[in-house]
Amino acid sequence: MDFILDGFFKAIHLLFTGNAETYSAIITTVKVSGYSIGCSLLIGIPLGFCLGYFDFSGKKSVRTVVDTLMALPTVFIGLLVYAFLTQRGPLGDFGLLFTLPGIAIGQTILALPIVIGLSATAVESMDKKLRITIMSMGANRQQLFLSTLWECRHGISAGAIAAYGRVMTEVGISMMVGGNIKWHTRTITTAIALETNKGQFGMGVALGLVLLTIAFCVSLSVSFLRRKT
Amino acid sequence: MYNIKSLTHSYNDQPALDINRLEIEGSSIVGLAGPNGSGKSTLLRLLGLIERPTSGQIYFNGRLAEPFSDDTRFQVTLLPQEPLLMKRSVFGNVSYGLKLRGDRHALSDQVTEALSLVGLASEEFSRRPWYALSGGEAQRVAMAARLALKPKVLLLDEPTANVDATSAQMIKEAAIRARRDWGTTLVVASHDRQWLYEVCDNILHFFRGKIFGTGRETIVFGPWQKSETGTWTKQLSDDQKIRVPEPPHGDAVAIIDALSVKEDHSQKNPHDVSLQGTVSQLSLDKNTNQVFATVIVGNHPFTLGLAYQQVQAGSILPGKTISVQYNLNLVKWI
Repeated sequence: MDFILDGFFKAIHLLFTGNAETYSAIITTVKVSGYSIGCSLLIGIPLGFCLGYFDFSGKKSVRTVVDTLMALPTVFIGLLVYAFLTQRGPLGDFGLLFTLPGIAIGQTILALPIVIGLSATAVESMDKKLRITIMSMGANRQQLFLSTLWECRHGISAGAIAAYGRVMTEVGISMMVGGNIKWHTRTITTAIALETNKGQFGMGVALGLVLLTIAFCVSLSVSFLRRKT
Repeated sequence: MYNIKSLTHSYNDQPALDINRLEIEGSSIVGLAGPNGSGKSTLLRLLGLIERPTSGQIYFNGRLAEPFSDDTRFQVTLLPQEPLLMKRSVFGNVSYGLKLRGDRHALSDQVTEALSLVGLASEEFSRRPWYALSGGEAQRVAMAARLALKPKVLLLDEPTANVDATSAQMIKEAAIRARRDWGTTLVVASHDRQWLYEVCDNILHFFRGKIFGTGRETIVFGPWQKSETGTWTKQLSDDQKIRVPEPPHGDAVAIIDALSVKEDHSQKNPHDVSLQGTVSQLSLDKNTNQVFATVIVGNHPFTLGLAYQQVQAGSILPGKTISVQYNLNLVKWI
């Protein structure tokens, strides 16, 4: 048990003395998850809105596919993205393997179904009277779209936060596509895996504490937004 | 203001509205009466350009009107039966329509004025979020949001159905004031017959998606039973019977019109039917000065048009038992 306690104290020391290696992993994680969540929101919110708002043939099938993709294993996404980005793969010429944009592509694939699915749910759960209210006030089509989006902002934000939490804490994509390169593509989760293998619990626990704090903030934000919805 | 031609509307192939021709004059107050599901709300949504009719045309000021059309969307507004407040403050809700129009001039003053029209103090309510309002207050805020637009046409769908008496009175007064101050055309669907009689220039009675009268007719639903003597009747709870001519089918709906109080029974016409009922309500038609009495005959309400002198002479007051008469030849069927 002592080594766990020692690890905890070492973690506090690493965090408060500004250990470069620890903070490099934190910054890399924040950077890459920022790219991926930005892309997935940009693509996912309009798609989720359309999926929740419009009725079209095959809607249920699309919904089932999106729901299934929400549970995609990260190592499977890592494998797929690796296959595409490797020298022999169709996107090999771009040289994205073992880079932050490469990890971001994989994480975008991970977050996209979550953003689409939860945005669609947020839009579907909107009161049907909202459309009548907005139109009766004189809105045109664009204003109707933007106002509806604004009205389900809490639900969509909750979806975005949930997706961010998933992206921050995944390890499979970062490990396979990023390669866990020190000072370059090493993220919090890949660092924890490596340091634990090396028996360096201190850094692992320190990074674990950071992840825990982020997860706590995410959970707090989601419950706050749920109360607002 | 509105000119409607051959208008039909259906939901999932179920016909909801069928109007051959209808004109609504500018600055008039038109009442829509009729049971639930008779097409009143559907007509209001079509007039409010919320939905596109299944077939037919709606002309607004001589132009074909369609949802989102720039000619009409800033001139017409609808207050639905259960209005929804958006997830923003009272100020945000009331100013929403003005912002859509790009009208940000003295926004605060406009919101204050609109709220005062429905009896809400701006300093008390402006900052309140949407969820911190009672049902009546929310309805009044929704009404204020429409009044802030100073619309050419205000469509009200059961505006007082779910609110207390004070809120109902505020909403009624605000609607009438809109017509008086801005010349707003009002189209009001309501079960409050007394209010409709008092304020409307014209009342349209809806039944099964069609307009069939002025709202002063009595509707009697089947089933009808044929007696041994060959007459068709409906038994009432007090053992009286509503007699009708032969219906098109056993469940047909009868429209009974031209009711009157018959004091003198000496010259009874064989086609006249008399029933005893109790007066429950009196209301005055502002256009004809005629008094409309609701008479309960064995739990069934009959509407009766009476001259003022007749009411005075017969001391007809709520609670009094009177004789209601109609002519069998004037019974119509739907």
